[in-house]
Amino acid sequence: MSNQTLALLILVFPAAGAMLLAGRGWRLPRIFTVIVGPGVVWASFVVTLALLFAKASGDFTYWTWIKSGTFEVPFNLLIDNLSIFMCLVITGVGGLIVTYSVGYMEHEDDPSYARFFCYMDVFILSMLLLVLAGNFVFLIVGWAMVGLSSYLLIGFWYQRHSAVVAARKAFVMNVIGDVGMILGTFVLFTQFQQVTYAGVFQRVSGCPPPGIFVGCFPSVHTGPDSFAIELAAFLLLVGAVAKSAQLPLHTWLPDAMEGPTPVSALIHAATMVTAGVYLVGRMHPIYDVATYAHSAVAIVGAVTALFAATIAIVQVDIKRVLAYSTMSQIGYMFLAVGIGAYSAGLFHLLSHAFFKALLFLAAGNVIHAMNDEQDMRRYGGLWRQMRPTSITFLVGSLSLVGVIPFVGFFSKEQILGLAFSKPGDDMVHVLWAVGFATALITGFYTGRMWWLSFWGKPSPQRPVEHPHAPRLVMMVPVAILAVLATVGGFLETRAIGVGPATVTDFLASAVGPQRWEGGGAEIAVTFLTMFLAAALFVWALYSRPWSAYAPWAQRLLERKYYFDEIYDRAFVRPTDWIADFALRDIERPVIDATVIDTGLIARAGASSLSLTQSGYFRNYVLVFVGGAVVGAVILIVRANS
Amino acid sequence: MSSLNIGGSQLDASWFLLLSAVLFVLGAVGVLVRRNPLVILISIELMLNAANLALVAFSRQLVNIEGQLFALMSMTVAAAEAVVGLAILVDIFRVRDVEDIDDLSELRG
Repeated sequence: MSNQTLALLILVFPAAGAMLLAGRGWRLPRIFTVIVGPGVVWASFVVTLALLFAKASGDFTYWTWIKSGTFEVPFNLLIDNLSIFMCLVITGVGGLIVTYSVGYMEHEDDPSYARFFCYMDVFILSMLLLVLAGNFVFLIVGWAMVGLSSYLLIGFWYQRHSAVVAARKAFVMNVIGDVGMILGTFVLFTQFQQVTYAGVFQRVSGCPPPGIFVGCFPSVHTGPDSFAIELAAFLLLVGAVAKSAQLPLHTWLPDAMEGPTPVSALIHAATMVTAGVYLVGRMHPIYDVATYAHSAVAIVGAVTALFAATIAIVQVDIKRVLAYSTMSQIGYMFLAVGIGAYSAGLFHLLSHAFFKALLFLAAGNVIHAMNDEQDMRRYGGLWRQMRPTSITFLVGSLSLVGVIPFVGFFSKEQILGLAFSKPGDDMVHVLWAVGFATALITGFYTGRMWWLSFWGKPSPQRPVEHPHAPRLVMMVPVAILAVLATVGGFLETRAIGVGPATVTDFLASAVGPQRWEGGGAEIAVTFLTMFLAAALFVWALYSRPWSAYAPWAQRLLERKYYFDEIYDRAFVRPTDWIADFALRDIERPVIDATVIDTGLIARAGASSLSLTQSGYFRNYVLVFVGGAVVGAVILIVRANS
Repeated sequence: MSSLNIGGSQLDASWFLLLSAVLFVLGAVGVLVRRNPLVILISIELMLNAANLALVAFSRQLVNIEGQLFALMSMTVAAAEAVVGLAILVDIFRVRDVEDIDDLSELRG
């Protein structure tokens, strides 16, 4: 099979799976759902591997979707190392998580079970379309579809009011991003009359015209740096920020934890929320030119990283801690791609997908065993009773903190190292300092989470005395992810001076080679960061409760810096007020009144006219004769005059 | 003012028209003031015949046959009308006894 067919097959499998499950799934035996749901994801994974080993690349056009004058939207898929990299993460980690769901969702009845896997396959399809799309239109289609499937999955337990509200919130926030994306595409189209990546990037970066921009990285950009490109880059950033839950469009992600835990693992940790990082990486020809927007990416990332980490300190819901740490880690990725270290950001995306999916799935095991209790204060002492889960959770935690040799160490420290040593940029040291502080806070809140859940004595409020061991189908994906989180870092060890840089080399053809090398001082700083973070991880066990130090700060953090309240005052309430005003002062007195009064007038006219129908024969004859007399008189008068 | 030769004597046409008018008014007043449906029908016939008389009178005066033809036509219509009217009345009488046409006012608005 040609690479072109294979590329399309990646999308065909999940699409077919979703359609089968939507059409027939709830009527067929459960074993069917169990095979089809995860099976199609693994099928896509195999196809992606085939493309990887074939070293495929190219811009494959399948058909023309819209053609109107000079405006032409083809359906084309862009296969390069970046999209293959993303497809591997999505289908690989996604396959593990969907397989895990087979066990986690076992308490659902058959129709809901099939519905869950149908939504999951729709999500995988949307995400693959997002990363494979070769033009802005299908990027937006995929972008909106992941928003939709995220909405469906957050609101999966639609009988729960809080889940429905959270789903709606996520959807609204995501649509804000979609609007940004669409406007950004409009701006680019008005500038270049192109919607394909190849067409736009060629004009932006001023590359010679071989058609495909892959491999074109002029050291000095000759393309236009104009207001329009900055504007487009900022608008695309709005999309990225909303999807990746960065400040200030982040409030939906913690609430999104209302969804089932595998959903949180797949969508709200490993893949969808990292789409913003992919977007900036994919749009790097634009961001390389649009320097202000590019700096904004880094600043947003750094601020979010610190901001989310501080909130995570006081959260008591295990999934919410993980949600804030996800925001924080994505902030690192934004920081990396924002300073131009694209491959470092994408490597952190990969490593984050490993360890955060691991943390969520291990947390899912705990939640499953605790009868859906998510408050960490009611766990405690699980180390003795859930040893495998505790160990894998520890692996994920240490990876999140960035302890050698786990994968998080290599990726996070690569980002910090590159930020520390970026030449010719003073501001970047501020960003590095923020990232450094975040790394320390990460150590603390991760330690707090782990000690609180697994160490010490069982909490008296624990819902289950003797938790059951997770099923094999749930433990195996967790174990695989734990192995990946342990050894994955050795793909990329050059940042500390020795070994390969597999990911950077692999992505070099798509996002450019690493643009500067870290110096010697950076390695010392890296290890210093690691030791301090690890020390804080341990110290979290012995520290007094946080509220003892600064109760006002605790309150501020527990209220999440009052973002929800501010948005409520600034947007929700004015909207409600306008809606009330429209109902009370426009809808009822103007529109309703017009309609009702029209009817009343017609009815009054009808009843007064009906009085003329007396029903008496004489009256009718009298009118008739009278009319005839009047007519005759008029005729006679006119004839005589 | 021309005259008509009827039975060897001359008679002014306006007399016929006057008679026609009197008959017509009698019929119209009958329709208006009488309450018995049968009498109303008879009054209508009276009006029709008044019209016929006027038609014939004009026909003779103007020496034009059309007026008489039209009178014949009018009689046919009158016969048909009488049939329909009587049929309706008979049908109503089957249901109830109507002495006053004002009793038939169910379609009052």
